[in-house]
Amino acid sequence: MKFKKTMAVSATAALALSLAACGSDDKGGNEGTGSGSGEKAQITWDMWAGSDDDIAALEATLKIAQEENPDIDIKLQHAPWNDYFTKLTANLSSGKAACVTSMNGQRLSGYADAFMELTPEDMATAGIKESDFTAGSLDIMSSGGKVLGIPYDVATMMVFYNKDQIEKTGAPAPKLGWTKADMEATLAKAGDDKMKAFGMGMAEFQWLALPISVSGVQPVTADGKLDLTNPAFVDAATWYGSFVEKGWADQAPSASETGWGESEYQAGNAALAVDGTWNAVSYLNNESGFKAGMVDLPAGDSGKNLGLVLGSGYGIAKNCENKEAALKVLGSLVGKAAQDSMASSGRSYPARVESQPLYFEALDASVRDEVKGAFDAAFANVAGQNTNAEWTKISETFPNNLVSVYTGATSMADMLKATQDQFAK
Amino acid sequence: MTQTEIRRSRSALSRVESRQALGFVSPALLGLAIFTAVPVVLSIVMSLYNWPAFGERSFNGFGNYVNLFTKNPDFWPALRNSAVFTILYVPANIAVSLGLALALSSRIKGRAAFRVLFFIPVVTPVVANALVWKMLLQPKGLINGVSVSVFGVELPNFLADPTWAMIMIVVMSVWQGMGYNMLIFSAALEQLPDSVMEAARIDGAKGWRMLARIKIPLISPSIFFAVIMTMISAMQVFAQPQLLTGGGPGNSTLPLVMFIYQQGFKFQDLGLAAAGAWILFVIIILITAVQFGAQKKLVHYEH
Repeated sequence: MKFKKTMAVSATAALALSLAACGSDDKGGNEGTGSGSGEKAQITWDMWAGSDDDIAALEATLKIAQEENPDIDIKLQHAPWNDYFTKLTANLSSGKAACVTSMNGQRLSGYADAFMELTPEDMATAGIKESDFTAGSLDIMSSGGKVLGIPYDVATMMVFYNKDQIEKTGAPAPKLGWTKADMEATLAKAGDDKMKAFGMGMAEFQWLALPISVSGVQPVTADGKLDLTNPAFVDAATWYGSFVEKGWADQAPSASETGWGESEYQAGNAALAVDGTWNAVSYLNNESGFKAGMVDLPAGDSGKNLGLVLGSGYGIAKNCENKEAALKVLGSLVGKAAQDSMASSGRSYPARVESQPLYFEALDASVRDEVKGAFDAAFANVAGQNTNAEWTKISETFPNNLVSVYTGATSMADMLKATQDQFAK
Repeated sequence: MTQTEIRRSRSALSRVESRQALGFVSPALLGLAIFTAVPVVLSIVMSLYNWPAFGERSFNGFGNYVNLFTKNPDFWPALRNSAVFTILYVPANIAVSLGLALALSSRIKGRAAFRVLFFIPVVTPVVANALVWKMLLQPKGLINGVSVSVFGVELPNFLADPTWAMIMIVVMSVWQGMGYNMLIFSAALEQLPDSVMEAARIDGAKGWRMLARIKIPLISPSIFFAVIMTMISAMQVFAQPQLLTGGGPGNSTLPLVMFIYQQGFKFQDLGLAAAGAWILFVIIILITAVQFGAQKKLVHYEH
């Protein structure tokens, strides 16, 4: 009998322990409670961070937000970029998303249901004035006409080039305000036996940037209709795809090489490539040891270029129970002190206009003016990206289909038409 | 003590023991329920719902299944790709691993080292294997490099060509998986009964006849096991196409499991993904049942 009792007790204890283990560690969840008198409100801020440096930078920002909100207990939780969205999806499906959840603007449409809409009153509570931010940058964190968050950084696409290779081959150097014809002249001469002139883009913005800029047309219209077969866009995309045929660029070896063009550029195998402003600093300090330059996207026949304003920001999860405290934390995370800190570390180009000069001050004096000039030009003609509910799927299919275009198995026009037929409703 | 009393006390003891046994297995039963039974039942339920990763869920009946079979442009190609992969991969894997096992069954020097060598791809992470194969197969890779410099022939862009991409996924998978079946076959060949082999030799059996009439029938239970397991793993192929080709070009190397993964985790449609998973489950069960049916005729058991 005694044995049976001992066994029952230990079995129950083991079970309780295992269940407790399953149930613990969900602090990130439905917090925002504790708003009652005397108790500190708890707000969790969820963000991606890959390295120790990233985490240290987030902790510095956390310290600023904590100092600005002594009555709120702010907790930081983070996951590497690749895991962040998987974890976020899991948290959302169990209603446990962190009150202040970070979101990448390009992925927002897939997570729009997870965030509260921020009204002008909410912005006032958070101490946020739209005019403090880069013009149009609130579009980054908007979906379906609703503001769902506030951006902390802004980005756009640029053309990066290998100065050493341009000098070696005597190709006309890319310059600010250049055109499609100028770019062709550069590409025609920038390659040699060891290096191709251009690295073909496979990922969404890396390949779409040039066709959009040259045609002045986005693949989705402002009212959310898929417009891949717009003649101007098809012409520009066909021009882009022809770089391989003309021998200016290599075919991508496989559809799984989604960072093909940029990695070829970074490795010193391509003289030019299109990439985002977020990689400007890493290209300037590239390991291959070449001198990197950057210019805005070339203009098409209209004489004007068009870029998309991209970036990331913070929103408030719908399941957050203490919206007011969360708004205050959000206000601090995109406040001047936090943005100054981010900019002066050179980590991201801040969305808050008054903090932007600090980003350039962190750069080496020899490249500072050039980078500033390129950024100013690149951000001069930007628009928010038009997307629709199907856009995530569409952008996922591009790398698989672009491979066939680059190898010549299908034409760009046919690929765009097939994609249009598949997804347009 | 009478017989009846002894029987009664025994049955009381066995009742106590059964209860104790139940106590001991209860953690395992609980684990089975929580981690197996509940998810299985939940996935059936999910497949009948519009089930986004978050947000409103709504009952959809067999809508997800209808969608897969009649509307989804990638489902049939994915099913076809899984079938093509299985048809190419299973015979190639069995032939290569059986060939290796037979080659290493004679007492050649260093055969233990060879076995280790052929088994290494099984234990190395598939990500590392895929990276190496990618480097070999890309236009600037080793294979094309050798071909151009030695023969002056430019080879196709293997992973970007719809036909070659699937062939290369099969080749890489055979290379990676052959070591496992080779070990199974080697173990079976080691245990061939000496008396039977000797009798066969006395009767004049050798070479091909010895292999086809004596050895293969004797190891047929192992071959049967290897075929079933290889077929199941082939229907579940995911990592090789995901890493080598990303399912492309187009959807030419997108197998069913990758399709399920995309629907569930990239497009957040868990209901559709669950429906796809159940279709895959039914296909695997049906093929396995057919194989078990064929076993009676083809597999020879020594009793």
